[in-house]
This record gives sequence, C-alpha cells and structure tokens, in this order.
Amino acid sequence: MRALGLALSYAASGLVLLAAAAGAIAAAGCDPAAAAAGFARGAFGSVYGLSEVVVRATPLALAGLGVALGFRAGFFNIGSEGQIYLGAAGATATALLFPGLPPWALAPLCLLAGAAAGGAWAAVPGLLKARFGLSEAINTIMFNYIAINLVGILVRTLLKDPANPLPMSPRLPEASFLPVIVPGTRLHAGFLLALASAAFVAVLIGWTKAGFRMRAVGLAPRAAAACGISVAGNVLLASTLSGALAGLAGASEIAGVHHRLLEGISPGFGYLAIIVALLGRNRPAGVVASALGIAALQVGSTAMQRSAGVPTSIAWIIMGLLVALILARPTLFRSLIGAEGGKR
Amino acid sequence: MSSLGELSTFAAASVRMATPLALAGLGEAYSERSGILNIGLESIILSGAFCGFMAANATMSLALGVLAGVAGGLLMSLLHAYLSVSCRADQTIAGLALNFLAAGLTSYAFLLRFGKSTDLPRCPVAPPIAIPVLSDIPLLGPALFDQNAFAYASFATVALSVLVFRRSEWGLSLCAVGESPQAADSVGLSVERTRYAAAAVNGALGGLAGAAITLGSLGFFMENVSSGKGYIALVAVILGRRQPLGVFAAALLLGAADALQFRAQAMGLGIPSQAFIMFPYVATVLVLLFSIGKGSEPAALGKSFDRSRR
Repeated sequence: MRALGLALSYAASGLVLLAAAAGAIAAAGCDPAAAAAGFARGAFGSVYGLSEVVVRATPLALAGLGVALGFRAGFFNIGSEGQIYLGAAGATATALLFPGLPPWALAPLCLLAGAAAGGAWAAVPGLLKARFGLSEAINTIMFNYIAINLVGILVRTLLKDPANPLPMSPRLPEASFLPVIVPGTRLHAGFLLALASAAFVAVLIGWTKAGFRMRAVGLAPRAAAACGISVAGNVLLASTLSGALAGLAGASEIAGVHHRLLEGISPGFGYLAIIVALLGRNRPAGVVASALGIAALQVGSTAMQRSAGVPTSIAWIIMGLLVALILARPTLFRSLIGAEGGKR
Repeated sequence: MSSLGELSTFAAASVRMATPLALAGLGEAYSERSGILNIGLESIILSGAFCGFMAANATMSLALGVLAGVAGGLLMSLLHAYLSVSCRADQTIAGLALNFLAAGLTSYAFLLRFGKSTDLPRCPVAPPIAIPVLSDIPLLGPALFDQNAFAYASFATVALSVLVFRRSEWGLSLCAVGESPQAADSVGLSVERTRYAAAAVNGALGGLAGAAITLGSLGFFMENVSSGKGYIALVAVILGRRQPLGVFAAALLLGAADALQFRAQAMGLGIPSQAFIMFPYVATVLVLLFSIGKGSEPAALGKSFDRSRR
C-alpha cells in the first residue's frame, strides 16, 4: 500500500513536470508532439546525437561524482564550478609547459594537474570548515567567482595566445589530447575516465575503511568523533577528493573538447552537477545515469529549438522545476504516502 | 574636470550601483535573521526585474512596474519559503533550484513575448529627483540627494529596518525564531508564520531591487539581467553582519568597487578588470575568516524546524 502510494507520488511529480513542459511548448505556439519528436530525434535519433549526449554528460558525471562524494561526508560542495575552472587552467598550463612530452605521458599528466588544481581549490573551504567550522555554502560560492575571474586574468596575461587578440590560450600540443573513441564524433576518452571514477568512488565509499569513516562523519559527526574518527581530517579529505573530481572534469573538457583555455569553459556544469548528484541520490551509478539524463535534456532541447523553434531555456525551467518537485514531493503528496520519516 | 567634480561623479555612481544590492541585502537580512539562508536571492531579483519590466513596458507606468516587480520577487521568495519551511527541504538546494527556474522562465517568457528582434523593447526609467538645497552640498549632495526613487527607497528601508530590528516586537521575535526556534515555539511564537513573513519582506525588497535594475537604470530587459547581483547581495549581508546600517555600508563598498572597475576599464590601466571584480569575493572570505568565533550568525541559520521533533 505504501509502496503504491510512493510510486503514485513519483508518477504525479512526473506528470506535473510533463504538463509544465507541454504547456510551455504550447505557449510558444509549437505543437508539443512535434517538439517532443524533435527532442527525441536530436538526443537519441543518431549516433552523432547520442555521442553529443555522452560528451555533455562527461563533465557532469565527473563533477557530480565529486558533489556526491562530498555530500556523503557532510561537505556540501557548491564550488564545483570554480574547481572545474581551476582544473581546466591546471591542465592547460601543464600542456603549455611540457609540449615536448609524448602523448602517453602528457595527456595523463594534464588530467593529474587538473585534478590537483581542483582538489587544492576545494581544500581551502574544506579546511575552513574542518578547522574553523565555517559554512562551506557561502565560501564555495565565493571561490567560484574568484576562480572564474582568475581564469579571466590568466587568459589575458600568463596563458594568453600572443597571436590572438581574443582572451584565450594558444591551442595545446596534440600530445595533450584525449583520444576520440568513436570516429567521426567528438566522443573522447574522458567518458571512460568518468566511468572509472564512478567505480573508484563506489569502491571507496562502499568498501573501504576510509569511505566508512567519511560516511560516518557525514551521518553523525559527534558519534564519529566519539569513536575516534577525526571529523576535521575526513571533511578535509572529502572536500579535496570532491574538488579533484571537479578538476578532472575541467581537465577533461580541455584535453577532450576545447584543446585551449577559454573564458566560460564551463556553462554552469558545476551547478548542474549538484542537480546531477541530487537526482542520482549520491550513488555513483545513479550519478552517471542522471548525468546522461540531464545531458540528454540539454542536447534534446537544443535540437527542439532548431526543429520546432522552442527556446532552449525550457531546459532550465524543467531542471528548476524538477528539483523543486523532488524537494516538495514528500509534502505535496503527503496524503498518498504518509509521512516519510527520518530517511533522506 | 576638476578632481572634486570627478570624485562627486564617482560617489554618485557608487550609490547608484549600490541601490539594488542594498535593497536585496536588507531583505535577505530579514530572512537570515529568521533562520532562512536564501541562496535564491538571485532568482528573486531576476523575477522582480523581469515582472517590473514587463508591466512597465506594457503600461508605460513606472508605478505599475514597481508593483509588478515586488509581486515577482514575492512569488519566488514565497516559493522558497514553501520549500524550506513547509517542506523542510534543504534551503541551499531550494535556492539553487529557484535560480535555475527563474533564469529559465524569464528568458523563455521574454523570447515568447518579443522574439529575437534586434531593437530592444524599452520601458520608462525613473528619473533622478534632486532635493532642493540638500543636493547642492558638495560631494554628498549629488551622491545622496540627487538620486532616483529606488535609491531613496533604499535609504528609507535602512532607517525603517533599524527601527524594526531594535524597537519592534516583531523584530525581536524574528531573532528569537532564528536563534532558537524551539524556545520561540515553546513561548507560543509561530516559527512557520514568522519565517514566512520574513520571506515575504525578503521577496518584496528583492523584487524592488530587481525593478531598480530594469526600471531604475537600464530601461530594458535582457536574459540574466541580474548577472550575479543576488550573490553579491549575499556578500553584503555577511560583510554587514545582518545589521541594516552594516548591510548598507557594505553595499556602498561593493557599489564603489563596481564603479571603480568601470573607471579603471575606461582609463585603460592595463590591469584586467577581473582583478577588481574579484575583490569583493576575496574580501568576503577574509571577513568570514576574521569573524570566526564571534558568533554573528543566527544559531539556527539554514536549519529547518520540525515541531514534532526535538
């Protein structure tokens, strides 16, 4: 009976979302059915469409894994966006510093540098929380703005391409490129990296002592401390790993897609990563699945704009509404499911 | 131009830039004092800017535009209150969701209404009102007494908020609810109602801040016109420690940084403007760092309250 109510509440949330999307499309004077067909064709109708979904999903999955990992240890990382930017800058600087290295060395080194830069950037708010109890919610947002502006300064000064008037770095040496895994598309090895990272996080969180300690700190810091688990140490560890995954996302965008550092290298991937982690219920497999879902929503809505003239901002409406519905579902449909006590 | 004249232009520009930050920051101070950290301030401002513009564009009336802006801000803020107070959802995630929603809705509706035309649709702009005699004071006159109605509204809100926080019973219950909801509840204060009321003030002031952008300075609307002002207003709230005068002073400082950045760009100093833009965020982290242990945050900030639990 309860399970039925729960299923009904999810179905009702889904219906509200669909109705809102259809309403928005109809308000734009388009036929919802035709728009939906355009959406599906764009995201799933061709090898190229599918590959674009996976290309989009790659940074979302990596950064989303980072947010999820932080969450499990009680570190709410809203700073993925900044960590992605610094990861991208770290990878770019490495590729420009060592242009002579062979591909088997340079590409991994770039990824490593990106992860290190992202991890270091997240470790600062992590340390502030662990050592001084400063809330990470505001600090990580501030660090986002600082990082984005730092990259803005870098592409105008140290990393600027002297041959180009625009604020961007020179094109990186080819040895830094991640290999394309499906010829004729942009799909690069970064997605395999995301899958490997998901497996790594799953094992770390679920099967190791270190993961157990982080989860304990996330669930009940005082109980964990009473058992001799260092709360500060684990918050710092989780924030660093969380930032390293986001940094990896930035590095993979550079080495796999852009091959140079630009302003606006991330169109809000870091904020989307929070939605991805939330939808994936902070489980690695769930995060990868929801990253693919959010990526499909974006690629599909771009196609819908081309085919049916529906503005792409519909994707943002759907995402905002989706999260609001997830938050409100237990209360909105209380009569269906009774109180969902305790568990979150 | 004389250097005094230049300084006075700069001071006036700083106050202009500070107006939306001060209005939104003061609203957020009410909300945070009651225990709700609303990261969705950006969505409130954006919604206010959009609704204000649409109404003013349709009717060419500033007054109706302001009303619509306030209503637009209220809508987003009450939605946040519903999620965080009634549904007891995580306040930060709720705020982020609203930021997505407002960015999507305003840009979608704007495109539907006006299409992708090259000439921007306009709306009337509130003119500066020079207060006789006072506006002739050198330096301070143009900065404080030759501004538009939105700036005067922000001054009035500061004064009013000082009274509300220091002298009114409601201001006291606001703090009680933010410091210890359990204790407030046990003496018969309704935590829910107080937090909803604080959210309403936040929405109204944030909506006004949005209207101050479109109706007070730009005269047009574009996608994401609030451009992060909601986050900067959050900075003003922290720098100003949720005190009305403090928030206002912080908003002025941030406004001055903004004005300085435009000047530096115009003068071509060779320093990337990002260095100036970055400054307030670095300052915020430093202020947070130096205020460790001083306990300026409401104890229940960011925590939802459930009567049935202890």
